[in-house]
Amino acid sequence: MATTAPPRDNTVEREAERWMNDPYEHFGYHNTRIHSLPREEVEAVQLAAMNLRLEERRQQVQMLAKLADAQGIDRVGRLDDLAPLLLPHDIYKSYPTSLLAKQQFAKLNTWLTKLTRYSPEEVDVSECDSIDSWLTKLRDETPLDVGASSGSSGTCSFYPKSKRDYFLSMMGMRVQLAQKFGEDPKPGDIEDKIHAIIPLYKDGHASMGAFGKYSCEVFAKGDPAYWHYCFDFKLSQDLMWLAARLRAAAAKGDVSKVDVPPSLLARRGEWEAAQQAMPDQQLAFVNRMVKELAGERVFVMSTSNLLYAVAKRGLEEGISGVFAPDSVFMGGGGAKGVPLPDDLEEVVCKFFNTDRMISSYGMTEMNSFSVQCEHDRYHVLPWVTIFLLDLETGQPLPRSGKQNGRASFFDMTADSCWGGLVTGDVITVDWDHRCECGRSSLAIDKKINRVSEIQGGDDKITCAATPGAQAEAMDFLTGLGG
Amino acid sequence: MMAKRPISYAVLRGKVVETDLIEFGGRGGDITFLAPDPHKIADQIPLASPRLMEDMYDLSIDQILDYLAELGTRLELRNNAYLQEALEYSYDTAPSTKPIMDGFYHDLPFMFDKERIRRMVDFNIGIDHLEGWVEQQLNGCTVGIRAYGSRQLHIVAGNGPVLGALTIIRGAVTRGDMIVKVPSNDPFTTGAIARTMVDMAPDHPVTRHLAVAYWRGGDEALESKLYQPHNIEKICAWGGFASVKHVTKYIQPGIELISLDPKRSASIVGPEALESEEAMVDVGRRIAADFATGNQVACSASRLVYVMCGTDDEAVEKLKQLGRKTYEAMLALPDVISTKPKRYDPDLKRQVDALRLSDDWYTVIGGQDNEGAVLVSHTSDRVEFWEYLADRTINIIPVDTLEEVLDVVDAYTQTVGIWPENLWDVVRHKGALHGGQRFVELGYGFNGAGLVGPQDGIEPMRRIVKWIVSEKPGPEKVPLWGDSAKDVKMLA
Repeated sequence: MATTAPPRDNTVEREAERWMNDPYEHFGYHNTRIHSLPREEVEAVQLAAMNLRLEERRQQVQMLAKLADAQGIDRVGRLDDLAPLLLPHDIYKSYPTSLLAKQQFAKLNTWLTKLTRYSPEEVDVSECDSIDSWLTKLRDETPLDVGASSGSSGTCSFYPKSKRDYFLSMMGMRVQLAQKFGEDPKPGDIEDKIHAIIPLYKDGHASMGAFGKYSCEVFAKGDPAYWHYCFDFKLSQDLMWLAARLRAAAAKGDVSKVDVPPSLLARRGEWEAAQQAMPDQQLAFVNRMVKELAGERVFVMSTSNLLYAVAKRGLEEGISGVFAPDSVFMGGGGAKGVPLPDDLEEVVCKFFNTDRMISSYGMTEMNSFSVQCEHDRYHVLPWVTIFLLDLETGQPLPRSGKQNGRASFFDMTADSCWGGLVTGDVITVDWDHRCECGRSSLAIDKKINRVSEIQGGDDKITCAATPGAQAEAMDFLTGLGG
Repeated sequence: MMAKRPISYAVLRGKVVETDLIEFGGRGGDITFLAPDPHKIADQIPLASPRLMEDMYDLSIDQILDYLAELGTRLELRNNAYLQEALEYSYDTAPSTKPIMDGFYHDLPFMFDKERIRRMVDFNIGIDHLEGWVEQQLNGCTVGIRAYGSRQLHIVAGNGPVLGALTIIRGAVTRGDMIVKVPSNDPFTTGAIARTMVDMAPDHPVTRHLAVAYWRGGDEALESKLYQPHNIEKICAWGGFASVKHVTKYIQPGIELISLDPKRSASIVGPEALESEEAMVDVGRRIAADFATGNQVACSASRLVYVMCGTDDEAVEKLKQLGRKTYEAMLALPDVISTKPKRYDPDLKRQVDALRLSDDWYTVIGGQDNEGAVLVSHTSDRVEFWEYLADRTINIIPVDTLEEVLDVVDAYTQTVGIWPENLWDVVRHKGALHGGQRFVELGYGFNGAGLVGPQDGIEPMRRIVKWIVSEKPGPEKVPLWGDSAKDVKMLA
């Protein structure tokens, strides 16, 4: 006689589902609680989430199915078992580049469909005549809002993320930035409209365009009166691509070999003029904000150098402490090769009336940003599993002690794509160190390198061209190199 | 196990230095080695005065060639303990594998063949220009031209151990004074050759005009002192932007930079390659010889093969067959020419593995075992990571027109392999206009005349000498004094 199996305890799976769907809501938007979970509990939920996601997504995301089939992996028993299923970031630019130059957006859609659970290929893009029109059409007719970026080689990468992904990303910023760790959130931290100051674009498909739009939704609660941007237009992905192709062609010694459509090449002057006018306009914009929003609580997301320029001039004119003390300032590294001033933090904090300027670590291909704590470490949200891969073998390094390796992540909140990613960054994590800031979440050291900077050894000279050599030449040509 | 730690000896003008050793290297898992503290020997590296070049002119070119020939006989590996030691150490530092390094070292003496060098000198500069003044009548004057040796510094590439030997030969035959800064990927070979010279003839002018040392490229304290016009006149720098950038800040009137930029190479193949099984086998072998030789560490190794077969499905199917033939031909190459790479670039491996997932657009042949791979494109696009192709990895790309191919030939393109013959004239001419610098028949990229003449679009041997001119007025020349002085036209 058959006996009934005891009911399976699926508490962990249920918890995992909540984390996967809307972790911020699940934790009551409580930053301190989010960063105070015990590691064992976090890892158990992460493992459960991996299996749930793997089962679901391999039916939906063809590239993942292909990889999982090739590796023969159906389930994972340990976190590390997922490492072979993390997709390299390059996969998001693995289409033949001529498709873009020949504007074959239907074919690009077919490619994109293999990377997401949504179906861009069902959208008719036969009328599209630019990257902007293609990506806008996808945004209008599907849940997607594809994140585009262009690298130094001149190739555009397209990460088919969804609007939901962007929203979660921004919400993560607000929860982590607006609250002080160790305290309960104040009602205003979650509910109030906060002025979002974005000295960049209103919109765009690259993150520095898209963040503007989503910060309106999350910080300004959709109220245009609380949403302030410098450029009242969309950052054109076509022009970004053109700029990258021009740089690549210049570095190769023949600027006539730019393989973009002629209609786009004709817009070269427009781009150059805009670039030239940009710094002055940004400075004027921030100065205007300083006057208009004095005393208000604001969220500012900018490059560190721009904040510095404004603050420095303000202090010289005897102005300081302009915004409300609970305002948030997030700076970014800015262009490679442009050194940050030594008194950056001091000047910015004094002028803007804040304790510190925060930076964060993240990328288009991940929802969850890691925000820097008071001890300069980037704390990773509990719904993200970190993998450090050995630079030589690609195998996961032990999850104990201090380790340095290629940064790879599984972000269980990914709504559109698989969520498993191998990056081009080298990071350090001390798995056993409990950060002095009080957060129990795992943390990444401040120093982050590109893998390409690490490799190549010391003083090796070769007659064969390497991408690094060419990229450096390119930086030099474009005036960024030292 | 080696009891001794590897040493990169400094050999300064007939004297071997092995004291004050300090440690170098070791970054990114590299081996460490010892070398004399460059700051302690800095004063002995340059030639004290250009006057001291005079002894080179007591020698005839024949005596220099005899010296080199004698050196060649002493560079036989089985009889030369210095080379044996350097080879042993080099297994760890070199980018290629043991059988390939053994082959390089074994062949070293043949580079010093007297007639081979004589032909090279005559082809490049003309022996008469080195031996004396070559005079002719020009514009009423007797104009004499002679090539004089310069005080030169060489920053040599280390991806092949022959480059140090080549540098010594080029410097000696032009009566130059050579400082060779060895690289961390080949810190031992040149020193071993120089030690052999010291044993052979410590006081010979050629021995005395060679200084070999290691210092870390970019060592400002040392370089700012050494890279001065009173020490050197020419800097010949191989390698990429990073290594050349160290040097450019010292370039000033009085110091000339001869830059041998980093390059890559490609192949251009006609549709005939896919016409029959035999043609595919033949072309597959030629491609393999041009990309896999020396494990693809040289700039002249092909990385992209364009086949003008069109991009329809049938052509792409045949192209995959050519890819498989190429892969088989690569595996069939003898060990001294090509082996499974020492270390397959993990970044490249990741990219190749990711490419397998994009099988709509690419076919990956091999590569599972880090042995090298053939990547066949199904469209006219090269792989996105084409700049990283190395360790016996080649991309074969179908194209419809020659113009598409020429678009990717640029100033970074050194060697272009061509097949068949009917493409030769047009590819050579148009390719040169696009930036290509060396054109060879497919399959002979490593099996040609050698580095005998122009390299990367310049002539390094003609650049390392100083071209000196003398002018004597003929009888019809009118002086700048006297009655007719005002009629003299002074023309540049």
